Parts: sequence; C-alpha cells; structure tokens
Amino acid sequence: MRKLPFLLLLAGIAMAKEDVLAYPRAFWENSVTVWFWVAVAIYIIVAVPSIYFMIKYRYRPKENEEGAHIEGNTAIEIVWTVIPTIIVLFLGTYSFANFVKQRNAPEGALEIKVTAFMWGWEFEYPNGKKVYTFFNQVSDPEKNMYLMPEKIDDSAKAYVPAGKPVKVYCTSRDVIHSFFVHEARVTEDCVPGRITKMWFQFNKPGEYWVFCREYCGTWHSRMASVLKVVPQEEFDKWLGGQAGQQAQPEQVQQPAQPVQQ
Amino acid sequence: MAVAHVPPAGTWYGATLKEWVFTTDHKKIGMLYFITSLVFFIVAGLFGLIIRFEQTAPGIQLPGMFGQEGTDLYNYILTGHGAVMLLWWAVNVWMGGFANFLVPLMIGARDVAFPRLNAFSYWSFFGASLLVLLTLIPGNWIKMLWTGYAPYSMNDNAGPTSLYVLIVLLYSISSTGGSVNMITTIVSMRAKGIGWTKLNLFVHAIMAASLIQLFGVPSLMGSVILLFTDKYLGTNFYNPLLGGDPLLYQHLLWFYSHPVVYVMILPAFGVFSEVISTMSRKPIFGYISMALAIYAIAFVGFETWVHHMFVSGVPDWLRVLFSYTTLFVGVPTGIKIFNWVATLHRAAIRYNTPMLYTFGGILMFLIGGLTGIPNAMVSIDLGISDSLFIVGHFHYVLGMALTFGAFSGIYYWFPKVTGRMYSEGLGKLSFWLMLIGANIMFFFQMYIGMANGMPRRYPDYPPIPEWVQLMQIQTVGALIMTVAILLSLINWIKSLKGPKAEDNPWGSPSLEWSMTTTPVGPNNFKRYPVEVPEDWHPYAYFKGYHAHV
Repeated sequence: MRKLPFLLLLAGIAMAKEDVLAYPRAFWENSVTVWFWVAVAIYIIVAVPSIYFMIKYRYRPKENEEGAHIEGNTAIEIVWTVIPTIIVLFLGTYSFANFVKQRNAPEGALEIKVTAFMWGWEFEYPNGKKVYTFFNQVSDPEKNMYLMPEKIDDSAKAYVPAGKPVKVYCTSRDVIHSFFVHEARVTEDCVPGRITKMWFQFNKPGEYWVFCREYCGTWHSRMASVLKVVPQEEFDKWLGGQAGQQAQPEQVQQPAQPVQQ
Repeated sequence: MAVAHVPPAGTWYGATLKEWVFTTDHKKIGMLYFITSLVFFIVAGLFGLIIRFEQTAPGIQLPGMFGQEGTDLYNYILTGHGAVMLLWWAVNVWMGGFANFLVPLMIGARDVAFPRLNAFSYWSFFGASLLVLLTLIPGNWIKMLWTGYAPYSMNDNAGPTSLYVLIVLLYSISSTGGSVNMITTIVSMRAKGIGWTKLNLFVHAIMAASLIQLFGVPSLMGSVILLFTDKYLGTNFYNPLLGGDPLLYQHLLWFYSHPVVYVMILPAFGVFSEVISTMSRKPIFGYISMALAIYAIAFVGFETWVHHMFVSGVPDWLRVLFSYTTLFVGVPTGIKIFNWVATLHRAAIRYNTPMLYTFGGILMFLIGGLTGIPNAMVSIDLGISDSLFIVGHFHYVLGMALTFGAFSGIYYWFPKVTGRMYSEGLGKLSFWLMLIGANIMFFFQMYIGMANGMPRRYPDYPPIPEWVQLMQIQTVGALIMTVAILLSLINWIKSLKGPKAEDNPWGSPSLEWSMTTTPVGPNNFKRYPVEVPEDWHPYAYFKGYHAHV
C-alpha cells in the first residue's frame, strides 16, 4: 500500500482544520482519532505488563515452581474499576458532542428526497426533477464487474453542488436499505414506512460513491450510485427550472414486490 | 451420613451405539453436542473460505446455478457461515458441549438436574441441525442472513421463511431446555461444602450465560413467530404498508441477539480463568470481582441492544442513551482483563498448548474489546455501521477470542475426556499459525472497513486497487488459519491413540481433575458422597490440594 498509513492520515486531518473534503466526515474523523489514541494507550498499558509477566514469571524447574499466594487486592481493583468508568464517560460524551453536529444539518441546505428500492435509488430534487440509478447501470455486463464512476452514464448520477450542505430525506419502497455516502462517512437506513434524515457536504467537485449498506438481497453489492459534485452554477444549470420526470432508462427492471399481499 | 460407595470402574464412553442414541448421561450428551458443533464449525469454516475467495477479486466469480445468480449463492453461503458459526459453534460448543460435560464434574454432581430434558434438548438441536442441512438444496437456500431482518425476510428473494423460522424455533427449544437444566443443576446440585464463592469461574460463566438464554430466547422466538404469521397468516406486525413497523423486528431480535454474544464469550472467559490459574500455579486474582463481573456483563448486556440499530432510524436520544450503556460493558470486561494480567504477577507459568491459546485469546480479546468501542460511540458508528470494520471487530471477539478459548478448553480437558495426551508440538504449531493467520485476516478486514469504508456483505466491489490489495492480504491470512485449524483437528484425531494421561496431569485442585479418574468413569467421581474440606477452593494452589507436577 503506497498510501500514507491510516494513523498519520487521521492525525493530520485532526490537526489541519482547513481543506476539509467532506462533512460530516470531519467530525467523524475527529471522534475516530480520539478513540484510536485512547485504544492504543490502553492496549500498551495492558499488553506490555502481560508480556513482561509472561517472560519474567515463566516456570523454571527448581527456581520458580509454584505461584505466589496472592488472592487479590481490593484497592487496586477499585482503581481499575473507577478509571475505566471515567474513560468510558469521556468517550461517550465526546462522541455525543460530535454526534450532534453530524446529525443536524446546517441552515440553508439543499433538500433531496431519496427513495431506495430493490435494487436502485431514486433522487428527487426540490423542483421535482428525478434521477434514477439502477444496479445494472453501475456495472459492465460483459466483464460482470463494477464500472468506475467516470465510465458510468451521467444520466444515472445525482448532481449536488459543491460547498453546500445537502440534507437527505430517505425512505424505501420495499425492504430496508441504507444510504451510505462513502467519502462523507455517513449512513442512515432507508426504512419502508418511515422517513429518516441525514446530511452531508462536499467541498471539492468530483464523483463520489453512494453504496447500500443494509443487506437487501441479490444485488445488494451493486446497489450503488454516484454523486456528481459540481460548482453551484453548473448544478443550477443541470437542475433547470422546470419540474418534470426524467425518462427512465429502458434496461430498467421493475422493482420486486416486497411483501406478498 | 451415607456410606461411601465406590462406583463401577470403566470409562464414560464405553457403550453400544444404542446406548449413545438413548443416553441421558450428561457426558455422552455433552459429547454429542460437541461433535455436532465441531462438524458444523468445519462446514461453516469452509463457507467462510468460499466467501474469502469470492471477495479476493472484484467481480462475481461464483457461478449462477439452478436459476439463481452467483450473488444468491454468495448470500446463501454468507447466511450459512453466520448462522452456523454463531448458533452451532459459538453458542452450542459451550452451552451444549463444554457445559454438559464439565459443570456436573466441577460441582461434584452425578448428572444434570433433568437428564431426560437434557437428551430432549440435544435431539431438538439435532433436528435443527438436520433442517440446516436441508438448506443445502438450492431451492431451500436461505438468503436472509442469520438476522433475518423483516421485511426482507418475507420477500421471496430471501428464500424459505418457514424453514428459517422452524430452525430458529428448534434452536430456541433446545436452548431453553439446556439453560433451565444448567441453572437448576448449579443452584441445587452442588456437592456438600461447595458454596457460591467456591464455584469454578467457568461454572459462574455458564450460570450467567444460561440466565441470558432463559430471559432472552423468548424474545427471539417471538420475533420469528410474528415473522411467520406475517408472511403466511396475514398479520401485519412488520409490514409498513398495513401499519406495522419493521423496526419492531429488530428490537425483538436484538433484545436476544445482543445478549447472546455474552452467552458465547463468557464461557470463553471461564476457560481463560481455569487455564490461567492452573498453568500459573496461582489462585485467580480477585475471584469475587471476577465472578461479579460475569454477572454484571450479563446484566448490562440486556441494556445495550439498540447499538445494533444506531443508523436504523431510531430517535437520536435513544442512540445516545444506548451509546453510554454499551460503553459501560467495558468496565466489568476491563476488570476481567486486568485481573487475568494480575494473576500472572509472581506466577510460575507453564507454557503448553492450552496456556498459549489462553494468552492469545486474552490479548486478541483485548483488541476485540477496544475495537468494539467505536461501534458503541454513536459519532463513529455513523461512518462504520455495516462496514467491514464491524465484521473484523466481531471476528476478533468470536473468531479469535472465543475460538481460541474453545481450542484452549479442548486441549486442556483433552486428557480428562479421552484419557490420552495430545501432541504438544503440533498443538503449539497450530497455535502460532492460527495467531498469525487470524491477525492478518481480521486486522485488514477492520482496516478496510475503517480507512476505506468498505461496506459488508459485498461479494462485488468497485475495482479500486487498494481495496483489491487489502482483500488479497485477508485471503492469505484465511489460508494460514485453515492450515492451523486442520493441524489441530489432526492433532485431536491422532491423539485419540496417544500416550495415556494421568488422573490429574495439570495438578489442579478443581474437582473435575482431582476427584475423578482419567478418563472419567461412568459415574463421574471416584467415591460418593463428594465432599470437600472447609478450606478447599478450585484455585487453592497454596494449600496443597493439587498434585505437585
């Protein structure tokens, strides 16, 4: 792997506040960094003495045959009950603080309705424009493999403006799916009969994956879509003024019926 | 005072086939459970290998067959791997195999409280096992994963719902019978002089696990019965089109299926405690807090289930609440780990295969525990829910800590059960290969989930070069693990004809070692009634109750 190790990446992102690629990923990475160093510290605190004891107190004939008669030590046991409790409260509260930011979209977000189905996504914009991505549009049928975003037809991509928060209201037409904005590291289930919410923001134009993260059957692993992040002007041009439904591609399958009634 | 009576000599396993089928003896039933678990462990392990091969390269390699896609076959194999590894291996190797064989021996009892119920539990489990084998027929492929989330599990795409429900119900009947039996046995059949503070920690673990089973299983049964009536009888508990709610299923399911992970791991903790004390020649550090921690984990475990549903659309306040309760599981778990480490202080550690597996299991559990924290922190979970990170995490806990615990236990009690000694060299080789292979496999599984955000349950993925590399590394780890497990299996089979073992080869004061013959006789103890002196304790190494080895 030629990419920088994960640790350095995390530490770097936590320190450099500017140049954030995506929200709420920045908050997520902040929590991950804190957890990571706490976990490394605890691991060292526990593993180093264990390995030391394992070597030092090994059985040696005639020298070290029987263990010492020690049954416990109440004081030290209280210490290692109280300290983990404090660490746990700290981690819970730290994540709570970030969670609030991760869950609540800033003012002025673009609102999109997403409807998941077996197997694809429907995106509906405020003016009524709709975009569909079906599982067979993200793959190459001959090689039976995923296409990379640049090879996928633009009509199957959901456009969003760069540098602007996007709020997603998600539901499902059949079974439970999950809308996972990959680079923004945020996911929320799309549950039939419910509307769930989430938000994200990309600061750099580009093409970013969306995956389904709740298991939903045969083509779960191809239930992907691509968010095309473009500058605001380009987005406005693409969105257009008129309401209306985009024609569905012809190769589309009808979504399977969820429940026999 | 009853006259001390000496039971007939012989071995516990010497009997005809008819006797094995109709047996109500706890040792034979335990062994039937154990062998069933082990066979299913091997099958589910092979399923795991198929999953690894499919994921090694992007694209779908599994062929479509019998009118189904390659991905359907993958989904079936994924379901089988999960359900069988969890319910057949992780739960029943302990609750059926180890608990049945060992608990009566550890508490000085002749048998479990309800021997015929015990046989009934096993044969229900056997019935469930046969139904699991039926799913090998392509038309019966169950593809709803072991969790069977509604409403997908009612969809025709998911395979036969009724078969899934029947398997879960039979498993539930067997588990309920088994847990009632264990609880009653431990409460009422302890030998004279064995109070609650003189039980082996393994027995405490089985007690806590049985309580979890008893209180949790009804919720699981309820969830699948409602699934059945929804699909076939026209009710609508889970159908949102008719006013039901799919999340009800998840609540009912996880109310059992989260605590059940403690049913799986607590007995492994029990084995760690037995082995670490025996091989250190030292009482376990802080016995009382170790026992209380077991019950604390079991209790807190019932208050954490919503962490499986952090992104399912439950209200935000509920997520935060359950984030805290889940994190609190770390406190009693931490006590256990610290006390194990403290037990090593000023010990005299014998390095043999069971001890190596126990050390490995504890250190891997530490990683498993620490990587459990981000799943409990709501902020992090938004980004890693249903990614391969969580898969790597629970394989550290279940695939490594639990399986290391089970292997440690198998090696540790091998002489007592078979009367023969296993091969130490082969056992150690198997351990080191397993440690290396499993770490390569599951570390990179976590890495790809956290750093690359790869979703789980994906046979296919975009051909991003780094993803492909990380997947290939995991496959190398899986192959090393396969060799390690095969070496252990060969060791066990070969050692059935190994050198004869002594009555108490480890020199433990615990009853199953110090008061029985090797192999255990048909009536368990060398003499009845079983009585222990006032100052006896299963970990009383300093009082001379153990043989000097």
